[in-house]
Amino acid sequence: MVQTPIKSETKLPPSTHEFSGVIHRLEAGGAMLPDTPENLMQIIGLYKAYAVPMDFYWRDLLYIAEREFLNPFPFFKYFLPKEYLELHNHYAGDDADLRIWQKGAATAHPELLAFMEKGETFKMPKLFHHLWHDRINMEFAEACMRAMLWHRGMGGKFDPYLDSDEYKANADRAIKAYFQGNPAMLGLYKLFPDMFLEQVRQLSYYSNLGLFWEVMAPVFFEMSDRYDSGDIKNVPDAMNFLVNGIFAVAGRPIYHHVYIRGEIYEIIPKSKGFMWLYEAALPYVEAVFYRTAPFRGTKSYNAQAKQVPDEQKDFHYGILYADVFPVGTAGIPPTLLMQDMLHFLPPYLVDYYSKHCRGEDDMLIQLGISFQRSMYNVTSAVIQALRQALLYPLDDTNPKHLEANRAFFEAQIDRFKRKEARLRDIQRQEYR
Amino acid sequence: MPDIVDIAVDAGSFKTLVAAVQAAGLVDTLKSPGPFTVFAPNDDAFAKLPPGTIQTLLQNIPQLARILTYHVVSGKLMKTDLAKVDSVISVEGSPIKIDCADGFEVKNATVLAPDIEADNGVIHVIDTVILMG
Repeated sequence: MVQTPIKSETKLPPSTHEFSGVIHRLEAGGAMLPDTPENLMQIIGLYKAYAVPMDFYWRDLLYIAEREFLNPFPFFKYFLPKEYLELHNHYAGDDADLRIWQKGAATAHPELLAFMEKGETFKMPKLFHHLWHDRINMEFAEACMRAMLWHRGMGGKFDPYLDSDEYKANADRAIKAYFQGNPAMLGLYKLFPDMFLEQVRQLSYYSNLGLFWEVMAPVFFEMSDRYDSGDIKNVPDAMNFLVNGIFAVAGRPIYHHVYIRGEIYEIIPKSKGFMWLYEAALPYVEAVFYRTAPFRGTKSYNAQAKQVPDEQKDFHYGILYADVFPVGTAGIPPTLLMQDMLHFLPPYLVDYYSKHCRGEDDMLIQLGISFQRSMYNVTSAVIQALRQALLYPLDDTNPKHLEANRAFFEAQIDRFKRKEARLRDIQRQEYR
Repeated sequence: MPDIVDIAVDAGSFKTLVAAVQAAGLVDTLKSPGPFTVFAPNDDAFAKLPPGTIQTLLQNIPQLARILTYHVVSGKLMKTDLAKVDSVISVEGSPIKIDCADGFEVKNATVLAPDIEADNGVIHVIDTVILMG
């Protein structure tokens, strides 16, 4: 699946952009991240460490969207039942729609199951692991979902559909079925219909993000396997694997089904034609990689202080802009994810981190910075995929086409001109 | 005169497109009086897509139909008509950029053969599958 990067000489005069080096690298088929063996090791190791908790996230997101649904007291929503741990991933295992992870099974990853059983402590009932906070930080997945819900309107037809009469009618049927025989909740629904409707919209985003990550987990597992076997040799290989992966599953349906007393309620049916690329992947990248919400621990929400932008499009608190050094302190949400990934690092990264900075003491920060590099690589893949889908091949012979490509790359990189962006930092290996 | 579907079948260079249109159940639509303007990617255009793309779409008919209807515009628009506009709205609902300044380009595709007239519209053959966004 990996294509060799195109190494043709660019026929255009050099770019005068502040990040011309990065632009030229993108034009030569590379990534925003410099191609060094050290970078490759860091990003692949982090994909693997991310994929294991992600295997929990997507399962639990779908479980909440499909089964917990409007449970007013969802105390046990992070307690995945057996059927969702055994739920077959559509992109792994023998019965896959398209087998992306070649070696793996379609059910939950063995390292995840081992962690759920023993955690950092020892084997005990789930409830105790949960109360001792020895668990997967599912709140992180929900924060990503909420960023997508709140930012809205980032392209695609999914979000506008949530305001349509058709959606409201579908949701209404499911709400009434769910609370059947519960006059208190049905009465509340009659009084405040929008309160329930908005909850259902949020649940539709649970489903959306779950379906998005169901794809990414096997993609990352496969990349880790290919790196181990020597098939992925450099950063462009890793980026191109992602580009091809994006195209391969672009057409998978995005939907929201709810199961109530053995019946399926199609709140967003597959027949609406919503697609993974337009309705999940691109809005996700915009909401989570670029925007999210200002960290409570680094920005003041004080309206007079004007630290937080007025316009949602100006939000710049995603992983591409995040200051990773305060990870582990109060008010820094990505800490939740870093803590999750810490449990599943491959041995070569544990060794690597032990030799740098403060060794094992600040591993959470070191892995956070590797994670940032890995997400710059994913974003590079998204940029290249968009260029491939909407513009022209890198070896196009028409100079007008090459100019269009350059204008696109420059416009994308313009977003990293603001001083908070970490594009400058990741160019240096000492940033760790 | 034959209709849009007949022309594509007879031409022989639209095997993937015809198969996709059949799978998506759009044959009857494209045989209806219309009229339609179809930007038809030839087999080479489909071959440029990375592996797996078509397989996933063939497994998911509504999504496939959405991509295909992005290649269709209602009304019979010849090259001379398209030269007067910057973009047209596809049946899918998203705009398609048109550039006739030098040559004849539709979004990021180049038209290989314009103005193939059919009973119920017109076909312009393109060298790249166009995508929304």
